[in-house]
Amino acid sequence: MKKNFLKAGFLGLLVSVVFAQSSLAQSDPSGKRRVTGTYAITNATLFSSPGQQGSKGTILIKDGVILGVGSGVQIPKEARVIAGDSLYVYPGFIDGAGNMGVTRPKDPERPKDMVSSNPPDEIAGITPWRSVTDQYSASASMVNDWRKAGFTISQVFPEGGMIPGKGAIMVLGDADGNNLIQLNSALSANFRGSRGMYPATAVGVMAKFREVYQNSSLALEHEKLFASTSGVKRPQITPTQSGMAAVIQKQIPVIFTTSNDLEVRRAISLQKELGFKLVLTGLENYEPVIDLIKSSNTPVLIKLEIPDDKAIKGQKEEGVTEATKAQYARVKEAYDKSLKQASLLEKAGIPFAFTTVDAKAGDAHKALKSMIENGLSEKAALAALTTNAASILGISRMAGTIEKGKMANFVLLTDTLFTENAQVKHVIADGYVFDFEVKKKAATNGKTENSGAIKVEGVWEYTSETPAGASGGELVIKKEGTGYSGTITYDDPAGTGKASSPIKNVTLSGSNMSFEFDVNAGGMSLTVTVTGEITGNTMDGSMSIAQFGSFPLSAKLASPSRNN
Amino acid sequence: MKKLTYILAAFLGLGMNITSAQTPKGSVLIKNATVLTVTKGSYENTDVLVQDGIIKQVGKNLSAPSGVQTIDATGKYVMPGIIDAHSHVALDVVNEGSAPITSEVRMKDMVNPYEIGIYRALAGGVTVSHAMHGSANVIGGQNATLKHRWGSTDPADIIMQDAPRTIKFALGENPTRVHGRGNGIQPRTRMGVEAVIRNGFNEAIQYKKAWESYNSSKTQKGSTATPPAYSERLQTLADILDGKIIIHCHSYRADEIYMLINVARDFGIKKLVFQHTNEGFKVAPEIAEYTMGASVFADWWAYKFEVYYSTAFNAAILQRNGAITSINSDSAELIRHLYHEAAKTQRYGGLTDDEALAMITINPAKQLGIDDKVGSIEVGKQADLVIFDHHPLSVYTVPQMTFVDGVKYFDIKEDQDDQRQFVSATEMVEPVYLFSKVNEHKCMQDMDSFFEAFEGAFLEEKH
Repeated sequence: MKKNFLKAGFLGLLVSVVFAQSSLAQSDPSGKRRVTGTYAITNATLFSSPGQQGSKGTILIKDGVILGVGSGVQIPKEARVIAGDSLYVYPGFIDGAGNMGVTRPKDPERPKDMVSSNPPDEIAGITPWRSVTDQYSASASMVNDWRKAGFTISQVFPEGGMIPGKGAIMVLGDADGNNLIQLNSALSANFRGSRGMYPATAVGVMAKFREVYQNSSLALEHEKLFASTSGVKRPQITPTQSGMAAVIQKQIPVIFTTSNDLEVRRAISLQKELGFKLVLTGLENYEPVIDLIKSSNTPVLIKLEIPDDKAIKGQKEEGVTEATKAQYARVKEAYDKSLKQASLLEKAGIPFAFTTVDAKAGDAHKALKSMIENGLSEKAALAALTTNAASILGISRMAGTIEKGKMANFVLLTDTLFTENAQVKHVIADGYVFDFEVKKKAATNGKTENSGAIKVEGVWEYTSETPAGASGGELVIKKEGTGYSGTITYDDPAGTGKASSPIKNVTLSGSNMSFEFDVNAGGMSLTVTVTGEITGNTMDGSMSIAQFGSFPLSAKLASPSRNN
Repeated sequence: MKKLTYILAAFLGLGMNITSAQTPKGSVLIKNATVLTVTKGSYENTDVLVQDGIIKQVGKNLSAPSGVQTIDATGKYVMPGIIDAHSHVALDVVNEGSAPITSEVRMKDMVNPYEIGIYRALAGGVTVSHAMHGSANVIGGQNATLKHRWGSTDPADIIMQDAPRTIKFALGENPTRVHGRGNGIQPRTRMGVEAVIRNGFNEAIQYKKAWESYNSSKTQKGSTATPPAYSERLQTLADILDGKIIIHCHSYRADEIYMLINVARDFGIKKLVFQHTNEGFKVAPEIAEYTMGASVFADWWAYKFEVYYSTAFNAAILQRNGAITSINSDSAELIRHLYHEAAKTQRYGGLTDDEALAMITINPAKQLGIDDKVGSIEVGKQADLVIFDHHPLSVYTVPQMTFVDGVKYFDIKEDQDDQRQFVSATEMVEPVYLFSKVNEHKCMQDMDSFFEAFEGAFLEEKH
């Protein structure tokens, strides 16, 4: 206990030192402070807004604001110049609803005398007063991952139960700075019940949502009457009711997580009954309700991912009956249809945007390409990433396009967006420049020669940097038919020692290898994805877990198999 | 002139909105069938003419108006669409069992029009089902009466919008197991169950009064009246007291059935139907006099302690005592052959054909408050019809075609191996359950976590 006080005291001292420094403008012992906040990206190909042709030009930014765009921009002396001659610049991407950098708070302890049929709101997951800013960390690895994918703004939401709390719009800028654009921008809600107490299921959640809404509305009425009339008894507003006030007064929307068409209908029916502003997020299967989304004029955020194709890959060619083949065909049809959904939204004229929740940053560009291959126009895809998201979030004035006066948020790529080999070289968010390593692709004509030289079979030793420290293990890869199989060892999440899992979905294309394995952590099964590039006997890459982010990984082929 | 165009446009626009919100209605002429009207006798070599979803004529030598399809049913039998007064088909959630009273929850919120169980029910001639809340709590949620319009993606299309509201109650072991023993709250015993109901209704009376007095005084000048708390839970109970909602109560034992009859009489409630009612034969005269009857299984009991005392003669005894009696499925499997279940009342109790068929048609329609619309073949009623190849009470019979509002939703000749409406893009084989894991009826679906709590409570007692 004493030790904690000491720690707290020490921390307080540190904080006060930092504050003192910034206010006294003394020299910067950390060495982190930038030399300048003024940058010029010169002679780059600019795509200022969706649908616009690329044109050569220069962008000048200062303190996170665009000062000038075009050909006649004067570059001041203090500007650092980023040579943009071979770069393609797009407005920074905007995540309509995310949970990057958000850590779920500890569940509050259940009171001993709690009655499960009538639990306190906080225990039952009804916490509209909570703000995501208490759960957000700008330095989380997921924030880095999404920034690397081109995202510069995210509306993040807290974790929790049926009404987790209020979101905030964050710029993915300097991790040490204050990145808030808008506090309490929307209230999040979903149909998740609380385990073992009221409301336990989606049907209870809908009833409880109505009850919370109606009583919050009545509480406001009571408050108004109390303020205007003498002799009125004192209103006893609960934290839930005051947390709901901005929604009742229609100042902010409720952003409902609805993954399929039936949930979309449920959220829209609640909206029609109660009259709040509604935004839908997390959409996966929504083809049957596109007309309803259109006619109800509800803004939608779809998931920035495509469904996994395990059921397609698992289909057998031989030894199956006609009936099974017919079922296969239906699964394939359903899969193809799900890939086309985004293009159907575009055809219906619905200006949708994306949510990064549940998606993997490393696969974001692949998902976008797949949507485009399935009929979505590049213009609509870029609009979903930029202008549509800005408009749904109500920040069009400051973000979404490259224009003078808007925030300095850009993605700088080595080729035009959505082309196969385009890589993100820089991301500028809030005027801060983030550089990323651009990997040289093997020349396409030399590919066949090279691929013979890549050897993966054998025993690899790997190390990975995770927030919990460095860890590592052994990776064994064997040839199996035309593909590969194997096992991987890792630090057992359940305690000490090593655990081992089989690896699956091993793919090797060119010098890039990827595979997955499942880890059982506390009863929950997590899928870990490893991707890396092999040069000689070493591999550099990353290990990623959805919702936790990705961590660098390096491996060495310790004993290659000889019987190749 | 311009004004007129506007009015016309508005009118036409409105007209279009109405049609788009409407469910499909069909026209058909079924020729030369044996027509089992259930309420008005049976007729050989008779035709049934349906226009725009309504039965227009029943008689001989009818001719089809132009554009109306004719179906030759020579040698076949036509009966009203079968009505299942107790089902959980097409519901995403069955139990919100977390509180002893959850009258605020609406099963209409959870209707899933993709569930294959709807098609299977149609293949068994069932056109209307009563999608009920489960029996985990004393006063459960409000049920949905469904019309099996298979193929729609909108839940609103399969909800029978003109059916009255109904609500689930449950007595005995289920609610006492979940709440009393599972979570240490009332009710732990049958006495507690009665107390929960009585307290609920008394609170609802207070609630109604509080709102009435607030509403009448708030408009007065200088009023200091403040709004009472809103509770859809209590409002729903008040609506039951006002006769706006029919109670459908899960029950087994005679004593608890008689208890609820007395509670209903004390509170002036007349709209009450008992479900399961395995000991109903012991209190048949009381059920007949004070309630809207009982909905029972044909011959299913002994699946838990409180259901050990029953008989396959239950339905016949209730019927002959003048109680409105129906036979239900409470199961995705039994719903496919309710006509067999009805036929069992002839083996056990010797009921007539019309009495037996009434058990799955007009009687459940009465208990759901929809007997003016469906449940028999009568001119003016909604055209929910089934064609059988043999008499529907024959053990050899197989349903051939099923119509809802004159639209054919099942035809054995067009039946495909894979009738799913929705196919998952990410699952090779979707899980299918005809029986639930424990081979028990679905009344206790979604209650796993509560049983864990129940087991936990039990383990603790051993310490």
